[in-house]
Parts: sequence; structure tokens; C-alpha cells
Amino acid sequence: MKNLFKSWFASAAKLTPEQSSRLAKWQHLQETDAVAEFEHARYVVVDVETTGLDLNNDTLISIGAVAVLNGKIALNDSFSIILQQSKISHRENILIHGISGSAQQEGVIPVDALLAFLDYLGKSPLVAFHVSFDETMIRRAMRQYLKFTFKHAWLDLAYLLPALWPERLRSHRSLDDWGRQFSINNDDRHNAVADALQTAQLLQVAISKAKQDQKTSCYDDLRGLERRFRCALEYC
Amino acid sequence: MSAIHTSQLSFFATHAPFNRMDQPHLLWMLERMQLGYYAKGEVIITPEQGTVQRFLVIKQGMVQGEQNVADASDADSWLELSTGECFPLGALLAHRPVASIYRAVMDTFCYELPLAAFHELLGLSAPFRDFCTRRIANLLEHSKQIIQAQYTQSASEQQSLNSPLSSIIRRTPVTCSPQTTVRQVLERMHELRVGSMVAIDEDGRPLGILTLPDVLERIALPQIDLDQPVIGIMTAQPTSLPPQALAYEAALSMAKQGFRHILVVENEKLVGLVSEKDLFSLQRVGLGQIGQAIRYAINTEELQQAAADIRHMAHNMMAQGIAPEQLTQFISTFNDLLTVRVVELEYAASEINASPLANRLCWMALGSEGRLEQTLSTDQDNALIFTVPEGMTADGVRELLLPVARRINETLALCGFPLCKGEIMASNPKWCLSLEEWRSLFLNWITNGTPVALLHASIFFDFRSLHGALNLGEELRDWLSRAACDYPRFLHQMAENAMFNRPPLGMMRDFVLGKEHKLNLKVNGITPFVDAARIFSLAAGVNHTGTTGRLRQSATHLNVPVTEVDGWINAFLFIQMLRLRHHYEASANQAEVDTEMLDNLIDPDLLNELDRRILKEAFRQARKVQAKLAQIYQI
Repeated sequence: MKNLFKSWFASAAKLTPEQSSRLAKWQHLQETDAVAEFEHARYVVVDVETTGLDLNNDTLISIGAVAVLNGKIALNDSFSIILQQSKISHRENILIHGISGSAQQEGVIPVDALLAFLDYLGKSPLVAFHVSFDETMIRRAMRQYLKFTFKHAWLDLAYLLPALWPERLRSHRSLDDWGRQFSINNDDRHNAVADALQTAQLLQVAISKAKQDQKTSCYDDLRGLERRFRCALEYC
Repeated sequence: MSAIHTSQLSFFATHAPFNRMDQPHLLWMLERMQLGYYAKGEVIITPEQGTVQRFLVIKQGMVQGEQNVADASDADSWLELSTGECFPLGALLAHRPVASIYRAVMDTFCYELPLAAFHELLGLSAPFRDFCTRRIANLLEHSKQIIQAQYTQSASEQQSLNSPLSSIIRRTPVTCSPQTTVRQVLERMHELRVGSMVAIDEDGRPLGILTLPDVLERIALPQIDLDQPVIGIMTAQPTSLPPQALAYEAALSMAKQGFRHILVVENEKLVGLVSEKDLFSLQRVGLGQIGQAIRYAINTEELQQAAADIRHMAHNMMAQGIAPEQLTQFISTFNDLLTVRVVELEYAASEINASPLANRLCWMALGSEGRLEQTLSTDQDNALIFTVPEGMTADGVRELLLPVARRINETLALCGFPLCKGEIMASNPKWCLSLEEWRSLFLNWITNGTPVALLHASIFFDFRSLHGALNLGEELRDWLSRAACDYPRFLHQMAENAMFNRPPLGMMRDFVLGKEHKLNLKVNGITPFVDAARIFSLAAGVNHTGTTGRLRQSATHLNVPVTEVDGWINAFLFIQMLRLRHHYEASANQAEVDTEMLDNLIDPDLLNELDRRILKEAFRQARKVQAKLAQIYQI
């Protein structure tokens, strides 16, 4: 009840004209060509940290993102932001992502943070590990603060990777499992950017494998592989 | 600033040259970098791509530069690069295509910097420029600095030559009255185990000093009456300094005047005595003094002391960052002196010099001592050449010589040169031969080329005359140079044999380690160079026995550019340096140095990142030397 009230209260705030025009500008950007070859495309790999794992009640604390541009991770094309929290998350939660109470309070006003993310994202297709979580958290925040429904292309590595390496389906479930498999270390697990970087490296590995084994050449092909694999899983 | 950078900084903080670059330059570089992925087997750069367009740093994985057969001497060939290493520097600097095909030998991630940014960074960052332009030389320099820093630390725990003599005086000097008899003085010195005695008057003023070497010269040899007053044979008015004088002034006085003791005198009274040894333990002066001590040594105890001094000195020289080439030469030179003195003393004791064999014997150093490449862990390898006097047989001469040689070997063992396990010593009748016997033996090895012959050749052909009739050694050397050229098949066999000790670099992992997870620096690091140098020099008729000398002097004959030979030599010397350091550290950890305990096995994980990289580079050079050998002898 308290949560519901709070979210209603927060949503009462209106966007300023400037914020509205930023949002409109993003909405009018030209859609990206999802069949562009890997060598001529930009994908944004994203990871979020939240107050918890409850998709309905927990909130977004930070977004980290890394761009894969023409097949390579561009180190200067990355994004990291902490959203200002009205209520600091629990100690156990802070211990996971390491964003302290004061850092949460000093974060960016959520509306501005989300607009900054959209500016960074442009219309590049998104990639994440366990998309349903990241997508839900971001979409909920967008609806709450920006009053719009964030619809975007997402690719889920949690399905694409086992689609490419089916023999590892049972043994490899988490980001850590796959990171270990390809010796892609992450010195700062649960830091959104570090996780996004690790995910982006896995995307590079996946692209290389998909090109070689499946003759795929673009984002849409990868989504096709993911979708077929999910269907197959459901029939199993 | 982009958020990704901080997470990558920790990687760059652990690898040269990035760990020496200013943070703003590092961030500038990161801002312009991309992270690329190459699956196992994927080509990263090829000569066909034209002028290289990017500078790469391996974040993880391994990249191999495949040798371009057409251009085998190119420095980019034989590469095997792993985490933290950069490529292709030469091609980037020269604005040219690469000479080798760079291929990922396992799944690899590389940071990549565009060409323009690379050149801009060269202008911005001095450490980066230094690294790229000087490469291996720079790595070696950096490593040397680290070593110096480590050793200066331990040296500064001791006193320095800038400390006053008052802080160095260890004990009250042993004194006597001027009228004490020589006999009493010697007994006292023996009893207290001191090397000197100072005579003082009633007011404590020093009148004269007697030191151990004086005993030989002034007492034993002239056979003086031991009951006369000691003052008569003492050095009168010995050099003295006030307690405030600094240690280096004492060192200078000793060096100039050739004394080994300086009296410390305050208000005319003797307050202390500083010996050369006291200064040695502080500092690295007076190589000459150790030499003197050895030349005048009269018994095993003194020689043992000298051997300890040599080790100590070697440590101090390492602290100064003296190059391994000089250092091993230094160790070998003093070990030569020591060996010569042992031989002299034993010849004297067994009256060889008065026998018909006088001037007919040549003591030879073999193996590493022959090459002037001794480290602190060297067992003895030696042999004797003799000429048979009229009316005697070679066997007759041997019968006389072997017991003497046996005592020499044993005394050397007491001085820290363990007996050779393979019995390659002058006391073995097989290695105590006349000049004619040596010739026919060598000829036999050269013409037969059995495995045993090849093994022996690798030890014996590094012989160097140490003592006695040196011309015998020279004659044998000249003869060998000619003979080796007459039998090309032999050199071919030697070359084949030399290929067995491969540098421990694998295709997939960086180092190939044995069961013990250790690298053998001698067998797999030093030996490929030493073996190749021996063969090159035999083929080129170079009489030098040292590996670096052999390589340098054979370069023209081999038609190898000097820069490449320098690369081999640097690599060889770096491995030597690691060995020396390993031996030093091992012996520093135990009170009694047991040289037999010193090994050449190191765990590469215990090396710092930089040394590990240089060592890999050094092994690569060893491969190149072997490749040259294989090319020449078509193996």
C-alpha cells in the first residue's frame, strides 16, 4: 500500500517542457536497420541494478551500458548512471551492488537519468543477459517517470548462448557461468557497467560463433536464433 | 569521462609500459580504444592488409606471429604474445605492413588503438614512447632498476661507506707491548683468531702493526728468531685516521697504500682497528684486495674466506646493477685466481715444481668456468694437459699427478666448488692426459660423433688454460679449430644434439612447465645459447671461449646482423642475471651456504610481471638461435 501510494505520488510530477521535447526528439529518431551487418551496426548492451528482484515492487537504482560498434566495444561509448532514490535500499541489497546510501540519495533525478539513457541509446538495438528483468525494470521506470511505454528491440544472451552451445545448456545458467566458460573476467561483478562490459564481450564471442556456424550476419538473425531456441525449449 | 574506463584501469596498472604512464595519458588512450574479439584460429593482422592501422594490447588470450619464411630474420617472427603484450610495434613505427601473420591461438580479446591516436600518444607520453622505441632494451632497463631498488634496500640496512669509522669498529683491537716476542705474538694471534696485532706504548699510542700476510714474508720465509721483540718486524707508523673519518676515506687509504688495516686513533691513542674485511661487509670496494688475499693465501681456511668474500662481492655488484656479463666474468676471474692459488699451494706441497714435470703441466678450466660464465652454483670441471719428460711414459706421469690433482679437487670442494658428479676432474685418469693423448681423444670424438662424444665435446671444447704451461692449452685450441672445420659432419651432429634442449615455450600456454611447475633456467634457457655459440665459433674458427664473445665474433661469419646478435646476447645475459639472482636469494636465506643446494629451477609465477615477459622474450630469442642453427645445418 505504501509503495503504491509512493509511486502514485512520484508519478504526479510533470515533465518540464524541455524534458518533454527531449523525449519527443528521441521518439522521432529514425528506427535502426536491424538487418545491417555486424560490421556496420551499433548495439547497446545493458545491465541494471535494482533494490531487489521483485519485478513489481523493486525499483531501478542504476543503469550501465556499453556499446558494440561495428563489432568492437568502443571504450568511450559507454554509459553509467545512478537514479536518485527517495528511500535507500536495504543493507543486504547495498552489499550486492555496492551503491551506498548516500550515493543513492545523490543520484540523478530519475526523469533526467532516463532521458540521458535514451539520448545515449538512440535507436540502437539492446542486448542483455536475462532480458525480462532489465526490460521490465527499465520499462516500469519509463512508464512511471516519463509516462511512456518503452518498446524496443531486445536480444537475450541467456538464450542465445545456449542456442549456440546447446551442450552447455544444463551446466551454464548465469552470467558468471558463461563468463568463466570464456575466461571473461569481471573484477567488479554487480557494477552495472562492469556487468554490461562482460555481457558485451560475451556478445562478441556469440557473434563470432554465430557467423561461423550459422552464417548469421545481423541482429535480426541473432534474434531468430534466440526465438527458435526458446520455442524448442518450450516443446521439450 | 566514459564510465567504462575505471574498470579497465586496473588492467593497465599491472602491465608495462602503461603502469609507468601518467593517468591523464592513460585515460586519453582508453578514450580512443576499442575492445575487439578474435576466436581461436582467427587472423588478426596479415601482411596483405597493407600498412598497419591499429595498435593492439592483449587483454586476454594469446596471439602468435607466424614466421614469414621469406624474411626469417625479421624481429616480428617467432612471436608468441600473451596478456598485457603489445603488437605490432615495429610495423606501426615504420608505417609498414606486418611481416608475419598474427593469429589468435586461443579466444582472445584485444584493446585496439587507431594508428593516428597511436602516433599522437607517442608524442604525449614519454614512457610510452620509450617503451615502443626501445622495447626489449627498455624492459631490461626497467627490470634492472627494480633489481637495483631491491638490493639497495638490503644494502642500506647495512652501513654505507659514508658512515664514520667510529660506527664500524667492531671490537677493541688486540694489542701488545713492543717488547713482546714474536713467538708470543703469533701464539696470541692464533689463539684469538685475529689477523693483526698492534703494539702500543704505555699511553696507548700505536707503534707498529703486524698482520697475517707479514708472517709469511717477514717470519716464515726468512726463518727469523722467534724470540726477538716483535716491534723489530712490525710495520712502523701504520696509517691512522680519526674516528670521525668516513669509511670511504679508510677504503681510499687502503687502496692507495696497499694496507689492509687502518688504525683508528683519537688524541694519539689507539681506539680501534678497521680491516679491509670490515669495509667489505659494508661496501663493494677493493676488488684488488680480494685478489691480494687470494694470491697470498697460505691455507685452505684463508681460501675459504676468500671464496666467501667473492660471493659477498657478487651480491654487492648485483646491488649496483652491474651487468651479468661483467658479473659472471668477475666471479669467474676470482674463481680462476682461487683455483690457481689452490693449484700452486698443492704443487708446492707435493714438490711438483722440483720434479721433471715442472713447466710441463697445464691446468684447464672446462664448462662454464672455461667460458668465464660461472655463477654461484658451479661444480668444478677441470682437466690437466702435460708433456711427457724424456725417459718417462704418460702413465708414469699420471701416476705422479693424480694424487696431487685429487687434493686440488678436494681443496676446491672445501672452497665451495662441489666435486663434479660426472667425475670431469683432473684427478680422473681419463682427464689427465698428455697433449698427444688429448689430440687423439678429441679427434676420436670428432670423427665418431657418438652421443657420449658429443656430450663430452660440449664440456671439453670450452676449455681454457688456467695455470702452468699455458702454451699447451693454446696449441690444443689451435689444433681443435682446424680439426673441427675438417669434419663438417661433426658440427652437424653437434647442432642436431643442441636442438634437444628446447626453450620451454609452448604453443598454447606461455611457459611449458615440468611436474614441479618450475623452469630450468640452465638447461632450457642458457644451454641453447651456449651450445649454439660453441658450434658457431667452431665453424667460424673463433678461439673465444665465452658465449657472448663467441656470438659476437661469429656474427659476420654467420651473416647475421649485429642487432640480431645483440638480441641473442641480451636474452642470454638476462637469463644469466635471473640465475644469479635466484642463487643469491637462495643462499641469502640460509646461514651456511651449501652450494650444492643451489639449483636453476624457478617458478615463473614468482617472478614479477615484467621479468616474466622479458624471460619469455629471452626464450623466444633462444628459439631464434636454434632456428639459425637448424637453418645452417639443415636440421
